[in-house]
Amino acid sequence: MNQRTIVVQRDVQSDQKADAAAERERLGRRGTLVVNLLSSPGAGKTTLLEATARHFADRRSIAVLVGDLETDRDAQRLSPLMPVAQLTTGGACHLELPLVQRGLKALGDPEVDFLFIENVGNLVCPASHDLAEHLRIVLISTTEGDDKPGKYPKMFRTSQAMVITKLDLLPHVPFSVEAVTEDAHRIQPQLKVLTNCALNGSGIENWCNFLEEQHQQQLAIYHEPAGNR
Amino acid sequence: MHERSLIRSLLRQVGQIVVAEGGGQVTEIRVQVGDLSGVEPLLFQMAFDDMVPALFSSDCRLALEMVPVTAVCSECKHQFEIVDFQFRCPKCQTNLVQVIQGDEVKLISVSINSNNSIEGVAS
Repeated sequence: MNQRTIVVQRDVQSDQKADAAAERERLGRRGTLVVNLLSSPGAGKTTLLEATARHFADRRSIAVLVGDLETDRDAQRLSPLMPVAQLTTGGACHLELPLVQRGLKALGDPEVDFLFIENVGNLVCPASHDLAEHLRIVLISTTEGDDKPGKYPKMFRTSQAMVITKLDLLPHVPFSVEAVTEDAHRIQPQLKVLTNCALNGSGIENWCNFLEEQHQQQLAIYHEPAGNR
Repeated sequence: MHERSLIRSLLRQVGQIVVAEGGGQVTEIRVQVGDLSGVEPLLFQMAFDDMVPALFSSDCRLALEMVPVTAVCSECKHQFEIVDFQFRCPKCQTNLVQVIQGDEVKLISVSINSNNSIEGVAS
């Protein structure tokens, strides 16, 4: 009997990250921008998706995968507007790539311009899982308090944009757009900040323009000669 | 509780190494956890204690080392430790910094008791 120590030095999630990178490339090559939406429960992810679908109407094709612990309530809300697959996680507090791939298969792997993933409402665990997204967006509603970025740093650090929702409630709640922006920028200086109210439509055009820009910028890489990458 | 999902990935990797090494009894798994990995060490340890007996042995030890977040400044190339999630270079004050360590969970090494005596490094 002898004892040996094998040095490994490997990221525990390296397999999942490689799978996610391959899926991101597959979807990007055919012109699908994958957008992972993360937030606390009730921040307005589903309402924002409804407004997004109405704004794009027939100009852009979109599909959505919705993650919840139970029920298909969000899928029912969204299904009149776009192809939707509900991913029911049971007890799991976040989505993982195999669930996303299963949902995509259930939809028939549609060649859409935008594939949205509405993650499980949770500012913690979803931050640690790459779902093959090109763009990670964190939503924060004005009713949640403007101190959240510092409390949940990983979520804000790993996102490319922060969308402040329910702007119509600002006169009624103690929330400062400047304070939340400053707090978030301390953690992720490159974070793009957008504001909107999905119920009255303000800021939705700006949000959709941002998505269009990202579609063009993020997917350009797949059309360049390999030597330029 | 995503710690369980990370432990599942960790034990899968360890399993592959044991097979590649020709089997044996795993006695220690060394892991580095970064401060920006989103992992709570106590919950990680509890998930490990829960899940390890089914695959290896309840005698298998988890050696956990916390790693601070280290960044390098894109402007002046100064390397520094991130404190309180302040992503700003203390030298030139720019916020164009790149995290080089502390955002992942890393399997460092696996100790195995076995009957063969080859020293190895898995890639």
